[in-house]
Amino acid sequence: MASISIQNVRKSYGALEILKGFNLDVADGEFVVFVGPSGCGKSTMLKILAGLEPATSGMVKIGDRDVTDLAPGDRDIAMVFQNYALYPHLTVAQNMGFGLKMRGTPREQIAVRVAEAAKTLDVSHLLDRRPKQLSGGQRQRVALGRAIVREPQAFLMDEPLSNLDAKLRVTMRAEIAALHQRLGVTTIYVTHDQIEAMTMANRIVIMNNGLVQQIADPDTMFRKPANLFVAGFIGSPGMNFLRTSRHADGRFAVLGEMLALKVPESVDDVIVGLRPEHIEPGKGGLTFEIRPTLVEGLGSESYVYFDVPEVNHLAAAGGATDDGRPPGRIVARLMNAGPVRVGETLTVSVDPDRLHLFDPATGQAIPKEADRSW
Amino acid sequence: MRATPLQTALLYAAVILTSAILVFPIYWLVITALSQPDQLRQLPPSFWPSEPRWGVFKKIFEERPILLWLGNSALAAIGAVTISMVVSVLAGYSLSRFRVRGGQSLGLFILTAKMLPATLLVIPLFGIFRTVGLIGSMWSIILAHATLIIPFTTWMLKGYFDTIPRELEQAAMVDGCSPLGALFRVILPVSAPGLAATALYGFVLSWSDYAYARTFLTNAQQNWTANLGITTMKGEYVSNWSDISAASILIALPVLLIYLFLERYLVGGLTAGSDK
Amino acid sequence: MAGKRLLDLARPSRQHWLGYLLLLPAVLLIGAIIVYPLFVSVDLSFQNVGIARLDLPRRPFTTDNYARLFASPDFWNACWVTLKLVVVVTTACFLLGLGTALLVNNRFRGRAIARLFVAMPWAVPEVIAVVIFAWLFDSSFGLFNWLLIKLGLIDQTIAWFSEPGPAFAAVATTMIWKGYPFVSIMTLAGLQSIPEDYYAAARVDGANAWQRLTNITLPSLMPVLGVTIVLVMLWIFRDFSIIYVLTGGGPLKATQTLSIMTYEQAFSFFKMGYASAIGIITLVICIIAAKLLMGRAPESL
Repeated sequence: MASISIQNVRKSYGALEILKGFNLDVADGEFVVFVGPSGCGKSTMLKILAGLEPATSGMVKIGDRDVTDLAPGDRDIAMVFQNYALYPHLTVAQNMGFGLKMRGTPREQIAVRVAEAAKTLDVSHLLDRRPKQLSGGQRQRVALGRAIVREPQAFLMDEPLSNLDAKLRVTMRAEIAALHQRLGVTTIYVTHDQIEAMTMANRIVIMNNGLVQQIADPDTMFRKPANLFVAGFIGSPGMNFLRTSRHADGRFAVLGEMLALKVPESVDDVIVGLRPEHIEPGKGGLTFEIRPTLVEGLGSESYVYFDVPEVNHLAAAGGATDDGRPPGRIVARLMNAGPVRVGETLTVSVDPDRLHLFDPATGQAIPKEADRSW
Repeated sequence: MRATPLQTALLYAAVILTSAILVFPIYWLVITALSQPDQLRQLPPSFWPSEPRWGVFKKIFEERPILLWLGNSALAAIGAVTISMVVSVLAGYSLSRFRVRGGQSLGLFILTAKMLPATLLVIPLFGIFRTVGLIGSMWSIILAHATLIIPFTTWMLKGYFDTIPRELEQAAMVDGCSPLGALFRVILPVSAPGLAATALYGFVLSWSDYAYARTFLTNAQQNWTANLGITTMKGEYVSNWSDISAASILIALPVLLIYLFLERYLVGGLTAGSDK
Repeated sequence: MAGKRLLDLARPSRQHWLGYLLLLPAVLLIGAIIVYPLFVSVDLSFQNVGIARLDLPRRPFTTDNYARLFASPDFWNACWVTLKLVVVVTTACFLLGLGTALLVNNRFRGRAIARLFVAMPWAVPEVIAVVIFAWLFDSSFGLFNWLLIKLGLIDQTIAWFSEPGPAFAAVATTMIWKGYPFVSIMTLAGLQSIPEDYYAAARVDGANAWQRLTNITLPSLMPVLGVTIVLVMLWIFRDFSIIYVLTGGGPLKATQTLSIMTYEQAFSFFKMGYASAIGIITLVICIIAAKLLMGRAPESL
């Protein structure tokens, strides 16, 4: 087991920059998740870590060793792939023992360690089968087994659950987390699924367009997103954004109410972020009436969509939500709201302290009073 | 939507009639071989020999160096396929996996080489082989056949490697293989069916050649290939169609067998590179 | 295997070296047996050479071969024969191949065997196909003469290989029989890649069998058929074995294509410089034809 240090790693193909300077220190035994939309550079970073692609510049250290230009096989890491990448011509046992065999481990010792790993992952009865004869979940377990049998310094996992169906994904998610708890091996896990990131990670690295957006633990990521991208990416449904400007009296119009937002005096335009789950039925700090345009009942909760006043539309701000809602439409996630019908006026409220504020020019969060250094 | 019985009957009739007409020449070859020579000089012809002359195969083995010809054809094919496969496996893998500067142009050149008329290439090859003393030697056609085979096999194999996920060799490299080790320990074993189909396709190309054998081997009787040998039988003053047909069957047989076993793979060979 | 490797190609910075290394054998071999000969033949075509010998000093540069070529009626005759053959054989192969493929693509018992049967001639070596058809077209006891008389189409036997028209017909027939299975195989592959949903949707919309053929099947097959036609044409253009063994280009050069003329000039009359010029012209025509037909060829072959 070892720590991992990534220092200013860049990667470009000709003029195309995939990674624009990646810095990260991973502590020994930590579970770090790289998350972001496809094409954000997360998989490229993982391949550079594995030694499957050269970095254009920068340095990678595993433990105390500089491995930047070391062969993948010499890095003492194990990797789990999205499509499992099991060797189709070898049995499960041979698949799991392949790495040990390449390293010249004696045959009896390989057999012992394979048996042990197979027991851990509950695939002992499959050892003589070929990958083709296994179900998706079984293949995933064998792929994990192939990684743990080597007892490497670090696990690298590239979207390992993406090919599984929804139910199995939840089971395997818990299992990988449990495995990490038990073995305590430093793990870098790449996914595009923010729920996987939130549930599994010690720390999350959110990436977009080759740039790290924020590095934080899941709780901080949710409560204090560093910018519009992170705010919109984390959470389901994603955060609602409202545009607003300073009026003559210094206050801002939000959902038809005039609010005194705690922003520096120099800031005239603000994007207000509002989490769907922070909208509550009934009166509260900031109360307003809505007329739902669409209601999705999920049993315990309902997603209520409604339109906001024209002035709050985000159209020009360029920070539209990922789920493709029209610019003026936002969603509330209401618990126990009673019957909600389309077109019938409903009173809801938000605690103004829970609003997130962003600078529309930079997309960066405007720190709240307590965090402000000025 | 279910077909009516009439439609079904018409369909079967059409299929059977079409197949019968198209396969008839092959049937006629077999019937000719099995007929008595004087029976062949009768009209109307008989479409079924009164007593099949199975001994014809023994006869031509005894009277003609059929075995030598077939052996030479096999030797040329095995030699040419071996050379081509070694070169094509490596090149096809490189074209499939690496973005090598100039690699794409090389790939396109290889593809274009399929268009080269053998009648054009045979002239400089004749000059070159004459200079280095290869005319009449098996090496002349082994190398010449490689020019026919390599463009096909390289693209067939590239196409096959493209279907194998890159993650396989990445996994192998993380497991401690060198890139070449990943190719030999993982990719090639996994590609066994594709390699076999490709090699057999190359075998068919070599086995079917006539132009190069005719040019380089005419004066070296001990090295005649099957196709060259049979044309000398045809060219004799009185053609013995029964014997020629029997020999033809033996020559066509290996390719027919390969076709029957590999029908579903052949499309890959015929279309290799066409979706480029 | 881990540890000390002399040339550690597994290092990330060197992994792409392998790409070059793997191409090296191909580059060397292709250079020696395709590129260099091609260069030699271009060179030969600009010399007055009888029998090519590379150990003798080069003859002086001349464009006589090309000048003679374009002035030669034989060359234009060969072009005309080649063109006729390409048009006739391609059309027939195309119709027969498409027809058989559509026929056996129906669902019926024994379809697998029927597919094998209709494309069987593909597996007959060209020289053997010639043997078969030479006997079928035999002037005294050939089956075709007998059949045509029986059917009342001719009064007396035709000497197929002694008269220009019949010889051309015999060559074309043999090539069609040998060539159509390629179209069948390619079409069948193309048919398999048409999603069944298209047909289901068309049925829902009330399209009949003919409408499904013209609105779904044929348009979907167009890309495959385009490539196929070009490949068939190139095959006819370059074919040597069938014509040479069947008729030798005769009678009266009635079946002498550019390929046959090239070979004959080189190896019957030993005018290799002149022959190379014909070969080069043939290659240029092939490339231009392919380019015109495919738009983006030769990449598409």
